[in-house]
Amino acid sequence: MARTVVDPLTRIEGHLRVEVEVTDGKVSDAWVSGTLWRGMELVLQDRHPEDAFWVSQRICGVCPISHSHASAQSTEQALGIKIPNNARIIRNLIEAAQYLHSHILWFYTLTALDYVNPVNALKANIADTYALAEAAGTRMADFGAVAKRLAAFVENGQLSIFTGHYFDHPGYVLPPELDLIATAHYLEALEMQAVAAEIISVMSGKFPHPMTSIPGGTAFVPTESKLDDILFRFLKVKDFIDTALIPDTLAIAPYLLGAASFGGGCGNFLSWGVFEAEDFDPYKRSLPRGFIESAKGLTAQQVGPEDVTEYVEHSWYKDADTGLNPSKGKTEPAYDQYSVDGKYSWGKAARCKDLPAEVGPLSRMLVAYVNGEPTVKKYIDTALGALSKAAGATLEPTVLVSLLGRVAARNLEAAVVAEWSIAWVNELVAAIKGGDSSYFVTDRGSDGDGAGLWEAPRGSVGHWMTVKGGKIANYQVVAPTTWDIAPRDAKGVLGPMEQALVGTPVVDSEKPLEILQVAHSFDP
Amino acid sequence: MAQEAHGALHDLLAVRGVSRRDFLKYCGSVAAAIGLSETMAPQIAAALEGAPKLLPALWINGGSCTGCTESIAQVDSPDVATIVLDYLAFDYFETIMATAGKQADENIKNTVAAGSYIVVYEGSVMTGFDGNTLFVGGGANNEGAKTGLTVLEEVASNALAVLAVGSCAVDGGWVKAHPNPAKATGVAAWLQHKGIKTPVVNLPTCPVNPEWIVAMVVQLLLVADRDVATFVEKTKWVTREYTDDVTGEKVGLLMPAGIYGQSIHDNCPRRGHFENGEFVTELGSAEEAMGYCLYKVGCKGPQTFTQCPVTRWNRRASWCVESGGPCIGCGGLNWVDNNAPFLMRMSDMQLGGSLGNVQPGSVAAAVGGVAAAALVAHGLGMKAAGRIGDGPPMEEMKAYDRKRGAKKGGDK
Repeated sequence: MARTVVDPLTRIEGHLRVEVEVTDGKVSDAWVSGTLWRGMELVLQDRHPEDAFWVSQRICGVCPISHSHASAQSTEQALGIKIPNNARIIRNLIEAAQYLHSHILWFYTLTALDYVNPVNALKANIADTYALAEAAGTRMADFGAVAKRLAAFVENGQLSIFTGHYFDHPGYVLPPELDLIATAHYLEALEMQAVAAEIISVMSGKFPHPMTSIPGGTAFVPTESKLDDILFRFLKVKDFIDTALIPDTLAIAPYLLGAASFGGGCGNFLSWGVFEAEDFDPYKRSLPRGFIESAKGLTAQQVGPEDVTEYVEHSWYKDADTGLNPSKGKTEPAYDQYSVDGKYSWGKAARCKDLPAEVGPLSRMLVAYVNGEPTVKKYIDTALGALSKAAGATLEPTVLVSLLGRVAARNLEAAVVAEWSIAWVNELVAAIKGGDSSYFVTDRGSDGDGAGLWEAPRGSVGHWMTVKGGKIANYQVVAPTTWDIAPRDAKGVLGPMEQALVGTPVVDSEKPLEILQVAHSFDP
Repeated sequence: MAQEAHGALHDLLAVRGVSRRDFLKYCGSVAAAIGLSETMAPQIAAALEGAPKLLPALWINGGSCTGCTESIAQVDSPDVATIVLDYLAFDYFETIMATAGKQADENIKNTVAAGSYIVVYEGSVMTGFDGNTLFVGGGANNEGAKTGLTVLEEVASNALAVLAVGSCAVDGGWVKAHPNPAKATGVAAWLQHKGIKTPVVNLPTCPVNPEWIVAMVVQLLLVADRDVATFVEKTKWVTREYTDDVTGEKVGLLMPAGIYGQSIHDNCPRRGHFENGEFVTELGSAEEAMGYCLYKVGCKGPQTFTQCPVTRWNRRASWCVESGGPCIGCGGLNWVDNNAPFLMRMSDMQLGGSLGNVQPGSVAAAVGGVAAAALVAHGLGMKAAGRIGDGPPMEEMKAYDRKRGAKKGGDK
């Protein structure tokens, strides 16, 4: 038995520490810690409820759109506001652009370096690289130029962001030609994530930290030129996802079939639902609401804000704050010391129906899949078919509950959302053609409770608010990462990432590559 | 790691498929961003190309949301800006670096020991619970962990300069908003408190605009050939003073005048509508489609001193006011407390004490010069309320009024 620690766990949003016990080459116990506390919920106390839209999104600079939308919904529920249909479509479009931005950035910039070795790419034969790209049906690039560029970079002796890398780890198994293809797309992805972010900028001023989905609707009024600015960018990004992200995923997966046998975790999956339906029913959202409980098999049950509890037995908050629903939640920090037997995280342990729950694309895709959502079903079945062929065996959807499945689900979701985004631009055009010019409602109450439950690219996000006399009396956020990196709860049950780490092989404890792979698969 | 001499930048650019023309075009936009004439582009190019090797840099995330890192990923197209940013060797950059854990920590140690590097610091400086509101780098049972404060002090002490990027790094940002639960402060305040003399360049807004980071890096090379004393001496600065509520000390924040010297209102494309008395009075309305002025729905452009309307955001795709969102003043000091409630006109700002709120009633009349006069009166009101130390300096008279010879305080 030996302890291995990764702190800082890099290539994520925020600050994360992972401590594991390794027994016979596998993780036998794990403690995941959030190592930063800023106190957003306390900053929002006594402010105007609308102000939470701008302030609360600054919890996360990678998914501010989703926080802002959860916050706006919370305010709208509390103050009895129903937003106009145009605002609904525009928010869906802004959200979709963030999904595309975030998933592209996650795969190529954040996690690809756990699988793709750009140094090994230097050994690639350029002609073979073109042949492989052709066979994989993936996007062509000037692979020779990329190889030259890489060589110059390595030769200059200053490795910059690659300094201290793990690239000599035996876990890097791709052939050099595939490493080169993925490296070329890594560079192109930097451009594409920025194009997706431009869509947000057009509709909401800037990204990160958007400006227009203000409680009541939207301040953005689409003119002809703005609609054009949005559509052509969505098409460009969709093309990249269809011709690079998806084929790359399918080309890399056969080398990583081993990752289908670990990294699965708790097997409980929560989705609050995302991409609002015309009747605002969360079960009819494009990616619908639902909860899959491991013990009950792959079937989705109903779930609501009342099902959430947060525990602090292992988190630096006052013990009296434990076991509360966020509508009555309290935030009273009480740091003493780090102890794996006691308190070891700034994150609370969020639980759904008293169970740890994984959130993110795998949860959403599984809930949509068991609901028979046709676009989701199309992509998942195609991917399962390709993997079955590579594995030489018929793979069932349960194989997705693994490291490999979590990585694949995120990329497949990008393709689903890209397809829908074009339809939503057309939906907006049709609404405008039909003469609907309503974007914002100003009438509102001054008291009430709201729970804005929504989905960020990285998972379920909930903003709870109580408004009294026009001011925020209580505000609580349960962020996606609060679910996934949750520490143990009152019963000592491990959080979702902790459970996913248990059983993960660690070949070299000095360079724990597999821990990075599993942790990054959650996009924490 | 041994630092070998590096070839000229244009070789690097050529290898990366960037033409000389694109490069010069880019240098022109950098020149504009730092307030120089675009004819300076060849000099900027020369400064970049003449540099012997990549300038080492450490990008440190304090109490951050990673939004400023996200922002730097949104640099101008084509990817020339990315290339120029590659000009820095980021030996530590949590969000994008390949390595993690102790190897990451080694990278910091080696760079600090070698010296001649810059620090880019994103996020608030977290002092709550003796700095344990942010910690990093511990072993088993967190033995040997450092607080974020220790990391900042170690990397800043031996650096050429620190760029405090984004409002959180500048003065604590939203994190320090009342009641400042995690006792957040800014980089300049903390380094002053600790007696660390390394110059701090402050680039507020939430997040930082990436073009401004590039502008400062180029400025360091152009005017000073990496000599920081010359850099500080030759750059035009504005100094914003405030009293920090964590250290209790008065702090002067250096900001480049080319970027932070004029108000958003001064350069706003909607300014003409303001002068005409044409206002959006309801968000998402027909007036918004016509691009009328957002002052009445809470726009903080007149009291926020940044170059946003000129630089724009996300590779110039748009910016807040163009999309219909009133400015929330995220480039100001203590910006949440000073600007919320965001949908209220500035007149409803809480000034505190017996002064109450300044009410420029004449704004309701909404006729050109009268409205302008009201803003001037409002500015003076803020000054009278003693808030000037906490906010951007107010002009006694708007440039527009001065030009047409209006009386001080506006013509009624």
